[in-house]
Amino acid sequence: MGGYKNRILEVDLSTSQIKTADIPEEDKRRFIGGSGVAAKLFLDRFNPRVDPLSPDNPLIIMNGPLTGTTLPGTSRFAVCGRSPLTGIWGEGTCGGNFGPELKFAGMDGIIFKGASPTPVYLVIEDDKIEIRDAKDLWGMDNYAVTDLLKERHGKERNPKVLSIGPAGENLVKFAAICNDKGDFIGRTGMGALMGSKKLKAVVVNGTKKVEISSPEDYASLRKLLIAKSRDSMVAQSLRSMGSDAGMDLGMMTGDIPIKNWGIGEDFELSTNLGGPSLTEKYLTRNHACSFCPIACKRVVRVDDGPFKTNEGPGPEYETCCSFGTLIMNYNLAGVIKANEWCNRYGLDTISCGATIAIAMEAYEKGLITKKDTDGIDLTWGNIEGAIELLHKIAKKEGIGAILSEGSREAAKKLGKEVEGFAVEVKGLEIPMHDPRGFHGLGLAYMTSIRGACHLMDLAYGVEEGMSSYPEAGLKENYVGQTSEGKAEMVKLCEDLGIPCNSLLICVYVTWTLSANDLAEMVRVATGFDFTLKDLLACGERTWLLKRGLGNMMGVTGKDDRLPKRILTPLKEGAAAGSVPDVEKLLREYYEIRGLDESGKPKKEVLMKAGLQDLAEKLHGTI
Amino acid sequence: MTLSFPSAEWVEEFKKQINSSEGYKKAAATWTAGVVALIISAKPEIGIQEDAGIWLDLHQGVCRDAKIVTAEEAQKAPFCITSDYARWKQVIKKELEPVKGMMQGKLKLKGDLPTIVRYIKASQELVECATRIETKFLDE
Repeated sequence: MGGYKNRILEVDLSTSQIKTADIPEEDKRRFIGGSGVAAKLFLDRFNPRVDPLSPDNPLIIMNGPLTGTTLPGTSRFAVCGRSPLTGIWGEGTCGGNFGPELKFAGMDGIIFKGASPTPVYLVIEDDKIEIRDAKDLWGMDNYAVTDLLKERHGKERNPKVLSIGPAGENLVKFAAICNDKGDFIGRTGMGALMGSKKLKAVVVNGTKKVEISSPEDYASLRKLLIAKSRDSMVAQSLRSMGSDAGMDLGMMTGDIPIKNWGIGEDFELSTNLGGPSLTEKYLTRNHACSFCPIACKRVVRVDDGPFKTNEGPGPEYETCCSFGTLIMNYNLAGVIKANEWCNRYGLDTISCGATIAIAMEAYEKGLITKKDTDGIDLTWGNIEGAIELLHKIAKKEGIGAILSEGSREAAKKLGKEVEGFAVEVKGLEIPMHDPRGFHGLGLAYMTSIRGACHLMDLAYGVEEGMSSYPEAGLKENYVGQTSEGKAEMVKLCEDLGIPCNSLLICVYVTWTLSANDLAEMVRVATGFDFTLKDLLACGERTWLLKRGLGNMMGVTGKDDRLPKRILTPLKEGAAAGSVPDVEKLLREYYEIRGLDESGKPKKEVLMKAGLQDLAEKLHGTI
Repeated sequence: MTLSFPSAEWVEEFKKQINSSEGYKKAAATWTAGVVALIISAKPEIGIQEDAGIWLDLHQGVCRDAKIVTAEEAQKAPFCITSDYARWKQVIKKELEPVKGMMQGKLKLKGDLPTIVRYIKASQELVECATRIETKFLDE
């Protein structure tokens, strides 16, 4: 079996014991890798009701069989566990260099159990694995600790570093994990989970090769896929403008959230904050994840002014919205500075910006005042105030302590009226794409396993028209502002997108390939006799697995909903007057998916998918 | 009066529509990036024997010149967008937003993409101008 290293590390931080195990062979075939395998491991071995910040909640880092190969877009890895932010299944994925390096060190993944009594970090240098004291590192920001650890362990090698900053140490619920300074596992608070274990960093260096099942087929497939992913217009757009390329087009299509999702259009915002502006004013160079021909990452610098920033990772589209359009900030340099601080502290920029947005709305409405904010002016558009508040969130000072709980819990503490404009699903703040412009995306937000998510399935790209997979049954041109036919669309997008997620293929590369290409990647790397039909079946099986796990963690049908603000029509812009038909979408989706009234997959559906264990756990003895 | 697309008469009318559009004038007020040419791929079965070009000399919100040219001529423009007849028809009927079409690869762009993206509103206004022309499509 190619692609896998057949070895996962199990590190018990309570006892300092380290041992190795393997993913069960059957589960590799059924769930492939990444968060799919991680969810299965969690279901088999851990208690879904565990307190997310307790030592008994595992932190699972997992590669896929393609990670570390040179196929385009396959440098990603996943980090999973029960989410401290949402209380349900948490996962994040990330590109960059750490995942391949872990594979080169001989690992498919790492399971961290327990919690160390004092700060520690893990060093892996091929077969040499040690837990080391991190008391001197605790309190350092991500940039500083990454530089120090590379210096400390990099004299003859080039190690890659996973770390948390002060936000993770302080257990901010939406704390992120930093990957080698330039990439982040942002969503669902995996940084807080890592911090609860007093695990400051993981340093890895490896020299082993990744074996491929069919080397000849691999070489020709690789050539074909690189050409496709490099030469497509989507790729060219991302290469020249980064993910922020989506801002200008998004303003035309009703995609962009403005003023906490309350305004439908403002072209001055997109002109100031969009990809062309970022490229022309602040870009110093591109940066690419390992082996990626697209190179969408931005490296930026702000040379002067109040937001002067040394050269470093630049903001993605999501951040340009969350610290830009969402809070009415027209200043792109201010976004870059906010991005840098989020990176250093280790904060999810989506959740952080969204939580600051509800604070700004509360401030506008007089529900909180300068007395509550320790003098910070939270007038809309005041990016300096937003950055001041960001510091307080990371350090959990004053109102920052309340906001560090995330929008849902912060709104509960700030009052009923604030709950009315917290924009989250299952506790995860909505990504910066408006479901009023794309009703299928609204359904995907409602039913996505980790809370509102636009990446675990392919609905966003398909409905926007950036990608199409007719061979999987998806149409070429969906109309965004209708709920008709969207249940079927979302189900197919999930069934195709979830195995891509488990394979850890970058969504941008996925947009440039066909569904048959994706199945071929699996076959060539692993040797599994995988067709497109098998890939879709794997997607359905994995969705059901994660949904069932979520049910065991407390998810019910009542949680499949959209927030009040999203169900309020906008008065202007391309999506004016449009609101997803939630009742229709969910009714049709539940039927297609085989969910019962309580929101659980039906027993017979689980049995048909080969998930007998889960069927027993959810529905009692079969 | 119904005008065939593409034809010299249609292009002349397009120029008139552009120059009478306040929306385009405002959105393209700072456009100095040069000529935008469109190429329609040959489709002999509907009478387009070879690739046809439309030359739009656009400058600061004004269309200074618009004419039918050869594809070879059109390729010399700083911005050249190529597609087949069916796609151009979709654009004119507002079924395909042109910048989105470029990003999807349905319209092939030769030229600086960030510049085009910056003027996405202007491209939308150009399409609005085209929709105001009573157009006869050769495949109908």
